[in-house]
Amino acid sequence: MMVPVRCFTCGNVIGGEWEEFKERAREGDEDPEEVLDELGVERHCCRRMLVSHEDLVDVVAPYQ
Amino acid sequence: MADYDVTFIERDDTEARFLVRGVTPAFANGIRRAMIADVPTFSIDTVRFIENSSVMFDEQLALRLGLIPLTTPLGGEFDEDDTVTLALDVEGPETAYSGDLVSSDDMVQPAEEDVPIIDLKDGQRLELEADAVLGYGQDHAKHQGGVAVGYRHLQRVEVVGDRDEFRDDEPEIVRGVIETEGGELVPTEEFDNDLTERYPDSEVEVHDVENAFVFDVETDGSFDVDTLVQAGIDSIRGRAEELKEAVQL
Amino acid sequence: MSYKCSRCKRDVELDSYGGVRCPYCGHRVLLKERAPDVKEVDVE
Repeated sequence: MMVPVRCFTCGNVIGGEWEEFKERAREGDEDPEEVLDELGVERHCCRRMLVSHEDLVDVVAPYQ
Repeated sequence: MADYDVTFIERDDTEARFLVRGVTPAFANGIRRAMIADVPTFSIDTVRFIENSSVMFDEQLALRLGLIPLTTPLGGEFDEDDTVTLALDVEGPETAYSGDLVSSDDMVQPAEEDVPIIDLKDGQRLELEADAVLGYGQDHAKHQGGVAVGYRHLQRVEVVGDRDEFRDDEPEIVRGVIETEGGELVPTEEFDNDLTERYPDSEVEVHDVENAFVFDVETDGSFDVDTLVQAGIDSIRGRAEELKEAVQL
Repeated sequence: MSYKCSRCKRDVELDSYGGVRCPYCGHRVLLKERAPDVKEVDVE
């Protein structure tokens, strides 16, 4: 569904970084590692939140 | 009182690393716990949904709203359980962001403006009113102002001789902050956490320095790090004084 | 009870005699609409 607001493990707010990460690393062709470093998402618990996320809002929207 | 010695190693608004000398391990842990559990922050606690035709349930959205950090002044302007009302009204096709929340109090605002709450499609609408409450981290994690607060011993690195010429090339990993023989404080990231990078030709020994702790503190944006540390320590002092008064005849 | 027909999207009132069926188009799939009142949710 939507990106989690915070990292499940440490509670750091990562929701705000998602759209830039998505634009640059998912839709763009930049290296996810470098994008995360630049966004300041340092710990691996926070990094997996963005790396492993998939937006599902568009998938479920037609069934409303 | 014992003499404490505090040295900042890194410091900015949301992150800091500092060394405290002259505290016992129990007291160091007390500071850590106070920063996590005893510093109050505002967080959304009740949500009244006027309209929600988005793809997420009211309860799911309420949980997301609760996790958004709100700026919290700690200068005595607010007491525990004080409430501030926030409102949100977004109509699709558009994404509702934390920055769209309109607060009734200028001092209590979303700390981050671009956290997506819900993506609204054509014809969907979200209108709600939310009450933010000043609460403590010990009651709910959403009220924690400190994020990833921790400490480690300061480590002292001593050169004890030359390194064997035919030794294996194994890294010697240390993390945190080291103190060199010259008394210099060096974060281990500077030499890639590997002592063989910094001392390529010497045999070194690493020891924990007693009663010296390096704290790593981060905030979720509710206030800056200085405020968090200060408020944590004030809470310990407050409770110590309360105890002192309680046991006096 | 107010429902909405999933085919013709019209509002349907059901009584205990007519069975579950849209009186306008005969469709048998009806959706229950969200209540119009304000819903209060506690964040847990």
